[in-house]
Amino acid sequence: MGKRSKGSILQKEQSLAYKLLIPTLVVLGLVAIFPLGQVVVTSFTNREFAGEQETKFIGFNNYAQLLGVTVKELPPEIDDDTGEVVKDPETGETEYERSIMVLPRKPNRYKELFQYNWFGKRYVVGARDKEFLIAVGNTILFTILSVFFETVIGLFLALVVNSNFKGKGVMRTTMLIPWAVITVVSARIWEWMLEPGSSGFFNMLMYRMGLSDGQASFLTNSALQMPTMVAVDVWKTAPYMALLLLAGLQTIPKELYEASDVDGASKVRQFFTITLPLLKPALAVALIFRTLDALRVFDIFQVLMSSKMYSMASYNYFQLIQNRDMGLSSAIGVIIFIIIAIFAVIYIKSFGVDEE
Amino acid sequence: MTRTQRRKLKKVLFWIVIVVVFVYLVFPFYWALNSSLKTEDQLMMTPATFIPRDTEGNFAPTLQNYKGALSDPTFIRSIWNSTVVGFTTTALALIVGSFSAFALGKLRFKGKKPTLYLILSMTMFPQVTVLSGLYAVITALNLHPILSMILSYMIFTLPFTTWVLTTFFKKLPIELMQSAQVDGATPFQTFYHILLPLTAPALVTTGLLAFIAAWNEYLFALTFTSIAPQSRTIPVAISLFSGSIARQEPFGEIMAGAIIVTIPVVLLVLFFQRKIVAGLTAGAVKG
Repeated sequence: MGKRSKGSILQKEQSLAYKLLIPTLVVLGLVAIFPLGQVVVTSFTNREFAGEQETKFIGFNNYAQLLGVTVKELPPEIDDDTGEVVKDPETGETEYERSIMVLPRKPNRYKELFQYNWFGKRYVVGARDKEFLIAVGNTILFTILSVFFETVIGLFLALVVNSNFKGKGVMRTTMLIPWAVITVVSARIWEWMLEPGSSGFFNMLMYRMGLSDGQASFLTNSALQMPTMVAVDVWKTAPYMALLLLAGLQTIPKELYEASDVDGASKVRQFFTITLPLLKPALAVALIFRTLDALRVFDIFQVLMSSKMYSMASYNYFQLIQNRDMGLSSAIGVIIFIIIAIFAVIYIKSFGVDEE
Repeated sequence: MTRTQRRKLKKVLFWIVIVVVFVYLVFPFYWALNSSLKTEDQLMMTPATFIPRDTEGNFAPTLQNYKGALSDPTFIRSIWNSTVVGFTTTALALIVGSFSAFALGKLRFKGKKPTLYLILSMTMFPQVTVLSGLYAVITALNLHPILSMILSYMIFTLPFTTWVLTTFFKKLPIELMQSAQVDGATPFQTFYHILLPLTAPALVTTGLLAFIAAWNEYLFALTFTSIAPQSRTIPVAISLFSGSIARQEPFGEIMAGAIIVTIPVVLLVLFFQRKIVAGLTAGAVKG
């Protein structure tokens, strides 16, 4: 074949390749890249959704609104009559002024986020958008807890299903069901099982086992909310994690176990010296996927909690649809993007996934 | 304890673990089924019973919740909407994805690596980030809510189908293409008549996963149908279900609805178990 004709074949191939890629790139440009640009630009404006108000650039105001925090020292409460510091009559601890006295109100109002002691003084942290910062905190806590538990349970499930027993196939199929069922549907099933009062399954169970009075309100009691959300999410995602890990387990050569059996290594030792190190790549990928998924959790928070407790995504939805504040909602989108990117980079660096 | 005894004990313990895991996975569905067969009074009966019982304690199921759910026009409509959205999304993602996968997997061209990584990075893209931007695009284009859902679901289906199909195309022997070219076929003919039929298994796998993802999607659906109730898909309808008979939250009907929409998914999983697992792990290992 001559040089020229070969060149023209290559050229033809190249131009065909570009043509074939056009639809994908156009679609992704339309639904991902352009909206992303739009979000970044809008995040610097006060754009309202379907509103009359004229859109203006307001610089970093949305970000300041979302992330604005202030720390103020809280003075001890002074008794007006005696001029002395008021102490709690029972515990003898110093009482402090209410935080509303020290937190700025103009031009922007700060609400108390939390208080802490530092070198004998009391400080209060105030935030301009308390709900958002709590949503970020909740989402990160939710992510850490749910990814941790689903990894542990998922690994356990994978090891169980990887062993040889009758009904292995049935078990593997069953594991797919929580993953495949619509999250909203399973969230509503859980909602019903979590009903306060003994018409709810868990309250009935706890009552019968004598663990509680059967009146726990899992979704409104603030001490129970986070554990409940994690439990619901782990139920759905641990089997999925297990399937990803199972694929990794199956690539480990059987001979390694046989050899270490001959050496008399215990099963526990085998797990830590063979299974875990060789499972690392599969584990890394599964962890990245699940963490990024958990950080953008929306469905179960929206269905089970709605305004009782926000995740970053459900707060974003709330600001866009209920408050019609497109500018603020866009700024939230950018912040979520940055948080997720930070997590992704940390993971990829620490697992060395990119060094292949 | 003798050796055989110990082995037996181990076996019993193992099976206990299996049963516990099985119950853990399927119990919520059993509870939904159980509740869906109860009347409103039976649902409020305390303590809750494991099967529908009348006041004398006899087994007394009812189908009234199913009748209620199936006579709710918004619920029926949502099933139709979800079906349309699911199938169209899948078809589009497969067609468009297989084009680019062929280019990325089999053709030589400049800028292949960056394109591949651009598409791969999309699989990690947080969809919630673009929520407001996408909404702005859709209102600007004045798209029907059904169309806007189909288009927006490309964010997570298209990178996935492209990526998995690309690795599949790469594995096909290059000789197939060369011999077709010798026979005078253009690259596109080779793709359409020879390579595409060979990728049928991969198409089924990725198509299934794309379909399940579109079928389950909630955030975009809730946002884009917030002012268009007639376009709501199943997740939105179930989350807003208000029912026709019950006065309070009609959990009996919600559970009946949940069971109705879960059955097709369970059947799908039963039929395509192997393919789904293959697709999940391919998507995870490669992307």
